[in-house]
Amino acid sequence: MNLIECYNALGGNYEDVLRRLTSERLVKKFAVRFLDDKSYELLETSLRENNIDEAFRAAHTIKGVCANLGFDKLLHSSSDMTEALREGNIDMANELFQTVTEDYLLTINSIRALDD
Amino acid sequence: MGLKANDGKILIVDDSEMNRAILSEMIGDKYNFIEAENGAEAVAILQHRNAEISLVLLDIVMPVMNGYDVLEIMHSRRWIDDIPVIMISEESTPSNIERAYDMGAMDFIARPFDKSVVLRRVVNTFMIYEKQKKLTELAVSQIYEKERNSNLMINILSHIVEFRNGESGLHVLHVQNLTEILLKTLVKTTDKYKLSPSEIAMISHASALHDIGKITIPDEILNKPGRLTDEEFAVMKTHSMAGADMLAQLTFFADEPLLKTAYEICRWHHERFDGRGYPDGISGDDIPISAQIVALADVYDALTSDRVYKKAFSHETAIGMIREGKCGSFNPLLLECLSAAADRIRDIANSTAQYKLHDCIDDISGEVFSRTELTSAKRTFDLLSYEKTVNKFFMNLSKEFLFEYTITPSVLVLTPAGARILGTEQIIVNPFTDDSPLHPIFCEEIHRRVSEKARNSSPENPEFEFECDTFIGGQPRHIKLICSSTWIIDEPPVYTGVIGKMTFDNKQTTGKE
Repeated sequence: MNLIECYNALGGNYEDVLRRLTSERLVKKFAVRFLDDKSYELLETSLRENNIDEAFRAAHTIKGVCANLGFDKLLHSSSDMTEALREGNIDMANELFQTVTEDYLLTINSIRALDD
Repeated sequence: MGLKANDGKILIVDDSEMNRAILSEMIGDKYNFIEAENGAEAVAILQHRNAEISLVLLDIVMPVMNGYDVLEIMHSRRWIDDIPVIMISEESTPSNIERAYDMGAMDFIARPFDKSVVLRRVVNTFMIYEKQKKLTELAVSQIYEKERNSNLMINILSHIVEFRNGESGLHVLHVQNLTEILLKTLVKTTDKYKLSPSEIAMISHASALHDIGKITIPDEILNKPGRLTDEEFAVMKTHSMAGADMLAQLTFFADEPLLKTAYEICRWHHERFDGRGYPDGISGDDIPISAQIVALADVYDALTSDRVYKKAFSHETAIGMIREGKCGSFNPLLLECLSAAADRIRDIANSTAQYKLHDCIDDISGEVFSRTELTSAKRTFDLLSYEKTVNKFFMNLSKEFLFEYTITPSVLVLTPAGARILGTEQIIVNPFTDDSPLHPIFCEEIHRRVSEKARNSSPENPEFEFECDTFIGGQPRHIKLICSSTWIIDEPPVYTGVIGKMTFDNKQTTGKE
């Protein structure tokens, strides 16, 4: 699929990201680089190890990157999770992590389906 | 808007590599970047590559050390005066923004990043900062020039008087410097005399004119090799009032503080604290403090210099004579200052002909610097970056194991040889924590001993050495350390770290060296 289709599939805001980054080339370049970002893995490990501070920072990083790349769907779920972790609400964070995982997989799968 | 490439580098501090990449891409390849992934790394870079960095883009939420802590350190070390900081974060609630601004941040960029906004803010900050730097340089160079010229004029004038007197002009410079030292010591000793740094500089300037009245004294009296008769001495004594009169006739400048001060000094620099001086016989603090100090400086320099009628006394003898009241009567507070500043005063007395007008001018200009708080001025900055370059060059060139350790931030810098022997990077942040590459073999033992010895040393005796057995790279080694603790001279002095050299027993050396 092309970049617009990819953004539609992952629930992103292509128009906005294009306006901010100013070129399709840059949007694509950074979207693809998202596949290498290790924040999701860090979030998963930190949650498993009950390391709330680290989990907060990881969720916060995902939120920041998604904001920059216009990945709105994942932005919303990671944002909710960031707030839950900020308050130290582990139960809610674990619950929200399900949604974050779904949105994360949807996001990376859509990016992987991009045409070269 | 002029978009000009800058020599300085932009330090991007963000824990997300992706965010750093997006930022550098947005700002573009006209600029150079250094990246740091947490606050501690940023501080280490700022510490060791300070002169290279022109701007910091700083995230707030980061592991190890967050953005506010970085700002705090930049503030306490005054780096923030020279390096503007733009905060980047989605933590853009009003209180966060307020807090960052309060701590010295120049601007705030919220996520999601917008290329045109990011670029505009970076360029604007660069431009404001460059403009401010240029204006500062301009102001400093003009003040410097002005001070230099006016001081030169005063010195030429007083030299003319001295020239007639067969003296070299050194007396004027000595009195000027002694006056300055005594004044600075005085304000540290008591707050009785409210003297600002600019008044101190002005009194020191004006002190050069203390003997201008001698221009009215006939040659045969002024340069008489033997003792003066009572009549001749009476004529000689008129020089103080004569100098004051000359200045008083400059009605056009009557309101100038420099002129008023010079008048006091000319007229009353031969008064005595006990009231037995001339021309007016006033006593105690009726004598303006400027004249009291110049009188003391004048007597000290006369004692420690050769004159047609006498050889120079030593510094110790001169101080002793003055304290015993053999050469006049002085304010006890000033005698205290004379003793307190005795070491610095001796240096001046010994400097004789080597003392250059330039030094004197530089001193005054240095005063101007601190007085107007132009701490980011280019001259100071250049000196510092020169020093850094020299240090870095020699560190890199050395085949020896040399190290430099600062406590805050906890950073260990090694020579390439040192890094090779330990198998580590040259710059190690937090070298004494559990996950440090130096841990546990090298650091435990050595850090404990070095810290212990360093804290027991002092700014006066900073050097220490010791030997011990330890493990390096799994090998038992006998090492010898020669160290010097480093201090910020303050009251009390602050211990800041250790520099040193490590040597190894040859027999057990397995390295390439």
